Amino acid sequence: MPNIRYANMCHWKSIPYRKIDNFREFYYEDKTNTAYYSDWDTILKYQAALGFDGIEIAPWDLADILPLFGSPENFTAFAKDRGVEVIGMFHGAHASHQADHFDEAVRAGREAVETIVKFGGSYMNTCPTQNYYGSGPLTREEVQQCARVMNEIGRYATDYGVKIGLHNEFFCAINLPNHRELIESTDPRYVHYCLDTAQVAIMGEDLLTFYRDYRDRISTFHLKDTASERQPDSVRYAQDPEITDDGTRWFWEPGLGTLDLAGLYHLLKEDQFKGWMSIEYDGSPDLLASMALTRYHLDTVLRPIYD
Amino acid sequence: MHSDQFAMSLDLINRHYQEPNRNRYESKYFWEELYPLIGASGFRSIEIPYEPVWQFGGRSGVPMNRYCINTKYENTDNYRAALAKGDVDRVVGVTFDSNLFMRNANLDFYFGATGHFAGEALAHAADLNAEYFAISPSAYYGRIAHYHPDLEDRLGAFTERVVALVEGLAVKAKATSVALVLRNEYWSVFRGEHILALLDRLPAGVKLDVDTAHLTIAGIDPAAFITAHRDRIGCVHLTDTAFVDDAATWKTPNPEFPAHRATQVFRDPGTGEVDVPAIVSLLNQLGYAGPVVCSARQTRDPFRALLRTRALLNHLQN
Repeated sequence: MPNIRYANMCHWKSIPYRKIDNFREFYYEDKTNTAYYSDWDTILKYQAALGFDGIEIAPWDLADILPLFGSPENFTAFAKDRGVEVIGMFHGAHASHQADHFDEAVRAGREAVETIVKFGGSYMNTCPTQNYYGSGPLTREEVQQCARVMNEIGRYATDYGVKIGLHNEFFCAINLPNHRELIESTDPRYVHYCLDTAQVAIMGEDLLTFYRDYRDRISTFHLKDTASERQPDSVRYAQDPEITDDGTRWFWEPGLGTLDLAGLYHLLKEDQFKGWMSIEYDGSPDLLASMALTRYHLDTVLRPIYD
Repeated sequence: MHSDQFAMSLDLINRHYQEPNRNRYESKYFWEELYPLIGASGFRSIEIPYEPVWQFGGRSGVPMNRYCINTKYENTDNYRAALAKGDVDRVVGVTFDSNLFMRNANLDFYFGATGHFAGEALAHAADLNAEYFAISPSAYYGRIAHYHPDLEDRLGAFTERVVALVEGLAVKAKATSVALVLRNEYWSVFRGEHILALLDRLPAGVKLDVDTAHLTIAGIDPAAFITAHRDRIGCVHLTDTAFVDDAATWKTPNPEFPAHRATQVFRDPGTGEVDVPAIVSLLNQLGYAGPVVCSARQTRDPFRALLRTRALLNHLQN
């Protein structure tokens, strides 16, 4: 078993079919590549073929996945039959900084943990609260409130064998001025960190410095590249920060941006990091092409550093 | 009816399902590049499928709800000015369905959220000076049954709540120049002829949306339906299909994608089995002067869909 196993953070949009048994017939209806992106059977085969044998699902997928498969367990078995295991699910801890929302934030977090357990996953990468726009800047007390929620969810998750990992977005209300404060205000026994390499760099952290400072807290990664490090407040705190009006992309496949991912891999080797590394392609126009490009970069540039 | 009177629904863009390049549809630039192409295809008006989902998560580039329009354009006047740059003169109508809110066993949540956002969508239609607001009276039958397996036993109570909800919308619509119309969908609790019983319980101002593909799939001849109910028609959707529902797909949770055999339920206008020219001819004969909207949901190439539809309309008698 290799030290690092690779997963795909699921950014496939709604996939309407479980498995297409009449593939050729379906293809001929439109004679485009629609047939190649319409069923989980094919999508999971792409992942397995390209060496991404884990999938991190997204909560916004559940409304489609559950009616399609009937239960989380059925989806997990279906994926496993194709060589892919569910490693966990992303979670957004909406309004966790608000004292009057504590019970609801904890309840939603616990529910998400229970969902992950049903899928057989063990990671819950968690955005600590919502966007900066409309809620920031947070007071010190609000940051502490956010930490209390993370600790509470983390304690519950730990009991179920799930690790929650703080996952910061560059546009979150937890941002450069209080990002480290939040991490340090949480209990390391229960709350870990999912390092999204591009998000923290865009937010203004130096990737390698941040890794060195928090290497003991890191549970998993969202590996992606960027060419937009250290964006100003006006971008990070904007109303619509993630999807740009003109099509500017924040995130690129590893090797297509400017991050020192090779340097990160040297540090991973130094630490003998063991665990899952999710690759994330949010913003890509073609997720299959992104997976293939990433696999090439992993095999020719990054993995040789560690392996 | 002149062929430039036909509107094009923005549902020709596949907003929800995976395909290469789907992510482009979340950015404002995509839509602003699209409007002139719609205009160049000879469509001077569009229909907007109202979708609350885009206001959650910073994806306001998708112009499908009031929040997004206000975020990107400040108000509907500025949005209409952006459309006009692309030779699109008006938003003729707004559609709304409640499938987003059928996601758990809580019917209070479903009706509460549907009522709130449908009201918002109706107000948005009024702001846009649209002619109609077309609401689907229920979520997918199969999606409801997935979360409420006892649906058949509770249809009476469910219908009462639908009536109350639509009556509330009818009151709001009456205060505007927007006509409230009921969509007739093959996957609805009120499919086919069942829509008529629902309509009978509603104020006279509420009209029918005739969707030629949905009627056909539900086993109803659209020409006969139009003739029989011509005085109750509020808008017409020219949709096409070659789908025969011989496996009760209408009862499944995701009925646009038949679980037993992958197929495109809808075909782009002119490529399926519906006699679209005959329907248009009938509407002319009957003197129908209301909105007629083309909906192309088959091909994932929207530009192909635009031109396919225009090519069909070019063959109709002007």
